[in-house]
Amino acid sequence: MIQSSPPALEIDQLTKRFGTREALRGVSFRLEAGERLAFLGPNGAGKTTLIRSIAARTSPSGGSIKIFGQSPDDSRTHQLIGFVPQEIALYGDLTARQNLKAFGRFYGLKGTLLRQRLSWALEWTGLADRANELVRNFSGGMKRRINIACGVLHRPQLILLDEPTVGVDPQSREHIFGMLDKLNDAGTAILLTTHNLDEAQSRSDRIVVIDHGRMVADGTFSELVQETVGNSRLVKVRLDKPLTRPIELTGMRTTLEERVVGQSGEQSIHTRLSDVNEDLGRLVQLIKRNGYQVADLEIRSPSLRHVFLHLTGQELRD
Amino acid sequence: MIWTLMRINLTRLLHSKTELLLSFVVPIAFFSIFALIFGRGIGAGATTKVKVSIVDLMQDPASEQILQTLAEHEGLRWMDEPSDPLLTLDAARKAVQRGRVAAAIVLKAAVSERGQQEVVAEVLVDSSDPIAGNLVSAVVTQTLAAVKAARAAAISKQSMAMSHGAGQRLASLKTRQMETATGVLPVQAVMLPRPAMSRDDAVQTTSSTEPVPVETVIQDVQIVDVLGSGKANPVVSMYASGIAVMFLLFGAVGGGGALLEERENTTLERLLSTKLTMDQMLLGKWFYLTLLGLAQVTLMFIWGQLVFQIDLLSHWDGFLMMTVVTSMAAAAFGLFLATLCKSRGQLNALSMIIVLTMSALGGSMVPRYVMSERMRELGMWTFNAWALDGYNKVFWRELSVRQLWPQLAVLMIAGVAFLLLARVLAFRWEKD
Repeated sequence: MIQSSPPALEIDQLTKRFGTREALRGVSFRLEAGERLAFLGPNGAGKTTLIRSIAARTSPSGGSIKIFGQSPDDSRTHQLIGFVPQEIALYGDLTARQNLKAFGRFYGLKGTLLRQRLSWALEWTGLADRANELVRNFSGGMKRRINIACGVLHRPQLILLDEPTVGVDPQSREHIFGMLDKLNDAGTAILLTTHNLDEAQSRSDRIVVIDHGRMVADGTFSELVQETVGNSRLVKVRLDKPLTRPIELTGMRTTLEERVVGQSGEQSIHTRLSDVNEDLGRLVQLIKRNGYQVADLEIRSPSLRHVFLHLTGQELRD
Repeated sequence: MIWTLMRINLTRLLHSKTELLLSFVVPIAFFSIFALIFGRGIGAGATTKVKVSIVDLMQDPASEQILQTLAEHEGLRWMDEPSDPLLTLDAARKAVQRGRVAAAIVLKAAVSERGQQEVVAEVLVDSSDPIAGNLVSAVVTQTLAAVKAARAAAISKQSMAMSHGAGQRLASLKTRQMETATGVLPVQAVMLPRPAMSRDDAVQTTSSTEPVPVETVIQDVQIVDVLGSGKANPVVSMYASGIAVMFLLFGAVGGGGALLEERENTTLERLLSTKLTMDQMLLGKWFYLTLLGLAQVTLMFIWGQLVFQIDLLSHWDGFLMMTVVTSMAAAAFGLFLATLCKSRGQLNALSMIIVLTMSALGGSMVPRYVMSERMRELGMWTFNAWALDGYNKVFWRELSVRQLWPQLAVLMIAGVAFLLLARVLAFRWEKD
């Protein structure tokens, strides 16, 4: 008999109330082993509360959390999770090596195993040459790397990262995601909260969007695009000569209520096609019929920003 | 620009309760404490009485008269009955050594070179409390002077009576005897056996078989320091312990503050998501702060031994017991205060008020002997007072370690209680 392994994380109807304020309102989703999930939402949406609930740092008001089938309060679960808080939760007056050693011990590592993991972590973070320097003297990106390393020394199967790249320059951000990709390649499930749309889009297998404590979407990027933006695409066409008058879009469906595109004197037109598969050919024919040639054509891919805008009706707020 | 800066600073001050407390409440609180210690109010409301033991080794009417005069003095509180047969010179000395009384007055008989009966008054003092010693000495000197004056007047009267004839003299003497017996005169010529008579000054008697009035010569007061004598630098050990305990408290509160820092920067949250439990966290910090305090005080006393001749080596056992227990209690107190507060800033303000108040009342800043009885009683609610009493027993009174049990017990109970309170308060940090 084949027994399927439990998901890395299974959350069902999770609620959390702080006094009269509801931080989480019935959040449910799963994270499979080895999967990368971005938990996306604006500030104050409930992302940190969710992470803290998973790490057993706060008790939910309702619902359930299972980590590899176990309760977060189970002491064995602590070894399965690597928790990396949003703040730099390190001892600034200790060296990088001393910090790693301390957290390794708190996770129960000792002896040769601890030494091996220390060496691995210093190599993994690219800070082996600065292992004996005080953390308080490190740059923001370096501190972030050590911050993450302290949470994964014990090789957890699920890593919880609360906005791991806040305040980090693009180069360090790239370095951090490179580190996380290595862990993910080794089969570690990763849940990261972020309000960086590009990060969520490019660094995750699946995205859960939360707003005002309520889950508004759950799926892969393609699924979210399909569910929200669908096949509509923004199309930009450069013409061989300036328009003498706007082109009328007869027999075509557009997402915009415009029936004519372009302006006299301009050499390009922009429009959103409801179904790019069906309407793109018609648009090209229409342009030709009006006496113009297509010099260049650009179909803009939908981004998570469009998805988010569609889901929440607003830009991602800070 | 300057006005804007001033407004910004004022607004920030008004927004910070801690700053407001430190700026306006703490100075008034401390002024009040020291006013109570040195000035009017509680400090002066209750008349300070010096606890004394009085030993009457003469047991004669002259000494009884002196005792009667001393008994009427408002500044003394007799802790023993002078007629108690168990109250010996040695017992009085021990009472001073153990701090049960501030001074002991010993009245004893002596015979002068001229063969006169003398009253010798010794005041056994503890030089760690110079005020009590000086006060008792002054009271005894004053009493003896009054008795001397009364006696001189009586002798003068007696001489005049002698010149009027033996019959009158005898009648006069009988009258005085009666007066003396009824306490009308402070001290007079009293009936003493013949050998005690002075050849030069004694009143001549007409019959060898009849008791005769003989004057008793009253000597000045002799002050005997029963504790300070023989010590190289006696008072320094007391100040060392006072300072040590105060800084133990500050150190412990600072160490406890690290817990709040860890909480503020979420390190605590991260630590508690590992295998570490809150019990282990608090115990780890408690043991660390205890050892730190032990090292801190030991280093200070070693320095005291090297530079100020504190006799640490001879008292290492009592010192170690007191220091370990005091450090444990201080560490627990620091953790209790930390878990009571929400932020490091709040802890700083609260600890400054509490530690300085405890140090002021408990004798780390001002010796407790200058305080009124009521202030001293208040001081016993601080563990500075208990710790200092313990160190005094070790270094000053040089008592055996068995005598430290009250101080050790109180400090240990306080330490355990504070640690338990800290644990209860830390529950809210485990899952908030």
